[in-house]
Amino acid sequence: MNTKTPLLLKRLLAISFALMLVLLIAMLVGLSAGSTPSGIQALFQSLLGIGEPDSMLDTIIWRIRFPRVLLSALVGATLSLGGLVFQALLRNPLAEPYILGISGGSAIGAIIGILMGFSRFPGVSLAAFAGSVATLLLILAMSSGQTILKKDALLLSGVMVNAFCAAVIMFLVSITQDSRLHNIIFWLMGDLSMIDIGHAGILAATLLPCFILLFWFSNSMNLLLMGKEMALTMGVNIQAVTVALLVVTSFMVSATVSYCGLLGFVGLVMPHLLRLLFGPDHRVLVPACILGGGAYLIFCDVLARVLPEQGEMPAGVITAMIGAPLFIFLLKRSAR
Amino acid sequence: MAIDVNNLSYSYGNFKVLSDITFSVRKGDFFIVIGPNGSGKTTLMKVVAGILKPQNGRLEILGQPIDQYTRKALARTIAFVPQTLPVDFPFSVTEVVLMGRSPYLGMLGLEQERDLEIARQAIAFTGVEHLAHRKLDQLSGGEQQRVFIARAICQEPEVILLDEPTASLDLAHQVRLLDLMEKLKREKGVTVVMISHDVNLAAMYADSLLLLNKGQIVSRGNPDQVLTFQTLEEVYGCTLLVDESPLGKFPRVTPVPGKFVGKS
Amino acid sequence: MIAMGLSLASGQPAAARTVKDQLGRRVDVPDEPRRVVALAPNITEIVFALGQEDRLKGVTTYSDFPPAATMLPKVGSYIRLDLERIVALKPDLCIAVKDGNPKETVQRLELLKIPVYAVDPRNLETVMQTVMEIGRLLNAGEKASTLLQNMRSRILKVQSLVAKSTYRPRVFFQIGIDPIVSIGTDTFIHELIILAGGQNLAAGAVTYPRFSQEQVLALSPEVFIITSMTRAASFEDVKAGWSRWPDMPAVRNQRILLEDSNIFDRPTPRLVDALELLVRRIHPELFKEAE
Repeated sequence: MNTKTPLLLKRLLAISFALMLVLLIAMLVGLSAGSTPSGIQALFQSLLGIGEPDSMLDTIIWRIRFPRVLLSALVGATLSLGGLVFQALLRNPLAEPYILGISGGSAIGAIIGILMGFSRFPGVSLAAFAGSVATLLLILAMSSGQTILKKDALLLSGVMVNAFCAAVIMFLVSITQDSRLHNIIFWLMGDLSMIDIGHAGILAATLLPCFILLFWFSNSMNLLLMGKEMALTMGVNIQAVTVALLVVTSFMVSATVSYCGLLGFVGLVMPHLLRLLFGPDHRVLVPACILGGGAYLIFCDVLARVLPEQGEMPAGVITAMIGAPLFIFLLKRSAR
Repeated sequence: MAIDVNNLSYSYGNFKVLSDITFSVRKGDFFIVIGPNGSGKTTLMKVVAGILKPQNGRLEILGQPIDQYTRKALARTIAFVPQTLPVDFPFSVTEVVLMGRSPYLGMLGLEQERDLEIARQAIAFTGVEHLAHRKLDQLSGGEQQRVFIARAICQEPEVILLDEPTASLDLAHQVRLLDLMEKLKREKGVTVVMISHDVNLAAMYADSLLLLNKGQIVSRGNPDQVLTFQTLEEVYGCTLLVDESPLGKFPRVTPVPGKFVGKS
Repeated sequence: MIAMGLSLASGQPAAARTVKDQLGRRVDVPDEPRRVVALAPNITEIVFALGQEDRLKGVTTYSDFPPAATMLPKVGSYIRLDLERIVALKPDLCIAVKDGNPKETVQRLELLKIPVYAVDPRNLETVMQTVMEIGRLLNAGEKASTLLQNMRSRILKVQSLVAKSTYRPRVFFQIGIDPIVSIGTDTFIHELIILAGGQNLAAGAVTYPRFSQEQVLALSPEVFIITSMTRAASFEDVKAGWSRWPDMPAVRNQRILLEDSNIFDRPTPRLVDALELLVRRIHPELFKEAE
């Protein structure tokens, strides 16, 4: 009879190691690609300090590309993990990290910040963060005390609030006349370029404890999938776990949105892809989402920088263009 | 006593579902709760399992009030098997059964060799070895039910609670499940508390019966005591014939459709 | 010379001075900028107009005037600059515009020790000031003065010409086709229309006000000028569309005109060209007299 653990630990380490390699490769590709030709050789020369120092290339690789690659890894990890947690928490495979009003609320906050003339950091970011907290609280208030559709009350409230926010956003966009319209549109389409190493560092310091905490709850997520009542009878403190998962995940997703705008499909597709590859045990999926999700977004960002002849595409366009067909493919695969 | 219930009542909002429930379950008993639909059986089960908190009354498990148990300690004492479980995500049978070990493990639930052994035994006990690698959503209702029972067995409980486990099973599988419960009681000394909608099967297996109607206890005791035609006719509201089963010293209940009334 | 070359290669600025840009920021600019990147199409035009294109090493994507500018390396569009490309050109000075260039990119350039001089031309006067300041930056002060003198005398000529007429025709300047969009008071075009002796029918606080067809007809424009980024072909459609209303004075007098948008909304010396063009359109009678 085949049993998975203590092979679990071995499995966990093997998968994590493999994905860490993938992440490393992604980072190398991310640092080598860009609008100025450099290539992998130049990257290694810079890394190892051999050959003639080229300060221009060094600047480009380390001060422009590196923060961006780091941000992509952090955001990809957060969004994938966020999607995974919400899919478990809401017991719905269509859940994604923005579903509890985060996309709507943060967008409205960001747009108001942009219209009021704030600069990206800290003004617009804080406004976006405040917006998503506000909508989350609204949704929690709306869905508390619901007896009908109890399981889906949270989800439905989230969908409703996001839809309403979308209308507000369209209105705000329609009345904006000047160059701030460009800022708004770029924010809505997701923008990994507006980061420097200081901010990336702050974000990393904020997100890493969240990742660790969510890993700590990974077995509880397995049990939650049997239904809240069942999890209760197996010794899970569902109140504490639900609140912790909700708060930590919303916080980390909101934090990334405030840095880089909205990037769709990553949080929806990655959990399903990784579940298809590695099975539904969250103890494996949490690290897989962190590492795999990070690598995925780095690759998407590379495509966004490299595909167009002139300039770059917004990262959100690439994630949607890749994510949607990938999701359909996964749907067909899992139907078998 | 495995379970002691005193003056228990439970309401959903303003709607009173259980009133003044008092009964006890002896250790090692096969205790079956019967009653018409809406009589409060499932609610009672959930209260005893610690899922719902009663507004009034006392509930003791193995002599200790239920709120003095920590969550995990309670999970090691009582296991609950619901009628159905959601199967949104493709866990395998082994993974589901292993979840039953979580009351004995830490936050990450890292299973040791001993836990694997217990799971293997539970899977063998419930006869689902041949399904061990399959995904839960690929199994039939009866097979899923047995997997949930295997999971409950892994909790190594003193008491196992089952909410109408035979509801969607055909006759053969109903008997099979009840035999399994009897085996559990006999070989492991587990107290089995179960809801059944089939009065006759209940009569064949139960050591004690509890008859509920409209949230109140109508009768309790051994099957002979509870299954009298006066009591049953009043509760179920139809004509019944109660005699002794040809299979043994327990009652047999036969409903009497209108067309047969008047013939002896 | 060698010393300067060496210090440039080591990434340190050559002799530099501190100046205040148009936004009041203190910027350390090189005495002799050799590698300038223009962060907006109008800056490119101004640099060429000052004859300093040899210093120019990079421009933004839509820098299409003069045609020679299209041969220069591109650094992205002015609203979305490509930081990597800018840095790769090793600039010793960047010239930015407040209205359009993202603040964050400018900040990051400065963090990378690249001086950025920001300008904010909002009307003819500040355009001329910008020309003067860029001229000083690029050691072309004399050329700038000459250019400005030329601009001022042409503007004066238009003004004195216009003074001869007391009538101010109603002008509707359409910059958007669907929806119909015109220009409010806080635009270059408005200033030019007034200078050219016309009335801007869309004058008001809203910078780019929208109109329905009815509203335009109610305003009864006498001169109708259409500019847009679309090709001339659709101009014929639009003209035909307005021609359905023969009661509109502009239709009756056949004064529906198409003009190239670039000279009207870019803050460059070509605004004076636009002015001269406008006055011909709005007061054609003044030119018949002159002939």
